[in-house]
Amino acid sequence: MTENAVEIKNVVLHFPKQRNALIMLVNFFRRKKVRFTALRNVSFEVKKGEVLGIIGKNGSGKSTLLRIISGIYPADEGSCKAAGSISLLAGLGTGFSGHQTGRENAILYGSILGHNEQMMIEKLPEIIEFSELENFIDEPVRTYSSGMKARLGLAVASAIHPDILLIDEVLGVGDPQFKEKSKKRILNLVESTGTVVLVSHSFGLMKDICDRLVFIHKGEIIGVGEPDEIIKLYYETTGKD
Amino acid sequence: MIDKLQLKPPNMSGEYSHAKLENIGTRSPSWKAPIMNTIVIFRHRFLVRNLVRREIRGRYRNAMLGYTWTVIEPMLLASVYYFLFVMLAGNPDKMYPVWVLIGVVIWGCFGRSLSGSVSSLSRNAQTIHLVYFPRVIFPTTSIMGNIVISMMSCLVVIPILIFYDLPVTVYIIYVPISVLFAGFLGIGLGMLVAPLNCVQRDVEHLFRFIVRAGFFLSPVMWTYEMALERGVFGEVALYNPMTVPLTMARHGVAGESLGIPWAGVLGSLGFGIIMWILGSIVFNRYEAGAVKHL
Repeated sequence: MTENAVEIKNVVLHFPKQRNALIMLVNFFRRKKVRFTALRNVSFEVKKGEVLGIIGKNGSGKSTLLRIISGIYPADEGSCKAAGSISLLAGLGTGFSGHQTGRENAILYGSILGHNEQMMIEKLPEIIEFSELENFIDEPVRTYSSGMKARLGLAVASAIHPDILLIDEVLGVGDPQFKEKSKKRILNLVESTGTVVLVSHSFGLMKDICDRLVFIHKGEIIGVGEPDEIIKLYYETTGKD
Repeated sequence: MIDKLQLKPPNMSGEYSHAKLENIGTRSPSWKAPIMNTIVIFRHRFLVRNLVRREIRGRYRNAMLGYTWTVIEPMLLASVYYFLFVMLAGNPDKMYPVWVLIGVVIWGCFGRSLSGSVSSLSRNAQTIHLVYFPRVIFPTTSIMGNIVISMMSCLVVIPILIFYDLPVTVYIIYVPISVLFAGFLGIGLGMLVAPLNCVQRDVEHLFRFIVRAGFFLSPVMWTYEMALERGVFGEVALYNPMTVPLTMARHGVAGESLGIPWAGVLGSLGFGIIMWILGSIVFNRYEAGAVKHL
């Protein structure tokens, strides 16, 4: 019997629907709540050392679920518990400031992701080497191509040692060679971290590395279990096309 | 093609962290918010430093004159207001352009701090969606950046002291203090409405107007002493919390003591502290929900 690293119990999350101010005001006084329910009664747990995959169609609530675990959104109902430090790998390189150099941005982005100063100083040479930016590292980021930005983002983001790792579709940036390299790096990270929650659309990869899959559809969990079964269930529920 | 990867089987040993399960996103109780915010800023000082640097770098990017704009901008602005005032009211005082210049610097610090912190959450929507860290860091770094920039603007005082042959006294310390004061007055109000600005951006536009209107209602183009000469206006001016920092900076340059009744100073400081406590509590209570609107 292993301990749980993450416990999600009956989590409900609503998003407010954006309306104009007048309608919002009227609804406020009529105590009517116009909202969109992104997650309905979601419960599952992740064991320590387990790689859990989440699958579902676009807009089914996968990313929202990861954001709940990482604390970005508070759950409206239910409870969400986690043991230890959590890192979310998502949207690599957002928050870069274009007029600062790659090196400065690496430090900035690293500190945003919660790296401490000591670690950034130690890791910086390795990060720069991994990003393959070479001389560009001291140029402003606005001169970078989108691939270069993503590479730098991945290099910084993957230099972490959390207890729990959340990955949201970050496999597959840059050219084929870098894609391969980044996949290897993330898989290494998955291996060394142990407890991982992974959101991805590449079922082949998930079949290989995930111990269990969670299938989420329209904000509700349809099934949890062995990867093969759940992928079958996915196709049965959503249709082949 | 996805190659089969050899991953070590999970749970080989008990090497995973022994951290206990804890609730995610628990809020500290409201009464603790102001203290907690301060602790949080100190704890995240590495991040805060980097964000402040981004804020400052971003302001004068791709500009040939770069940071000298921090001094040039208030000087240009002050000269325009000077001509306007001379045209309307005749020349009052040889020191008048200096008072306007200092007024513009101090008011600029307050105005930018206020509008910067009001829009701090909405401007950083991308980062907020990406990672969680205490969000009080956003308005705080915005204000810290503005304070640093305003401190640089204060260097304009040096040529003034030389040109007008003013004595440098201990009161010169009033100049940086009043910059801090002005920034502090901005943060409370900024934190108070920053979550609301996520829901409706109108708040941002409203506050931009408030900053502009406040420019004329505060002793920027006029001084506290001018208001005093008109009798009751001097007392009325003291109800404006910004009167104290503005007057303080001017007296610092002139090398004089403050010359404002203590009640006025305490009132202004008290207003700042109350707004800061209130702002911290409201921010702490509502930021999490407001972020969903981004």
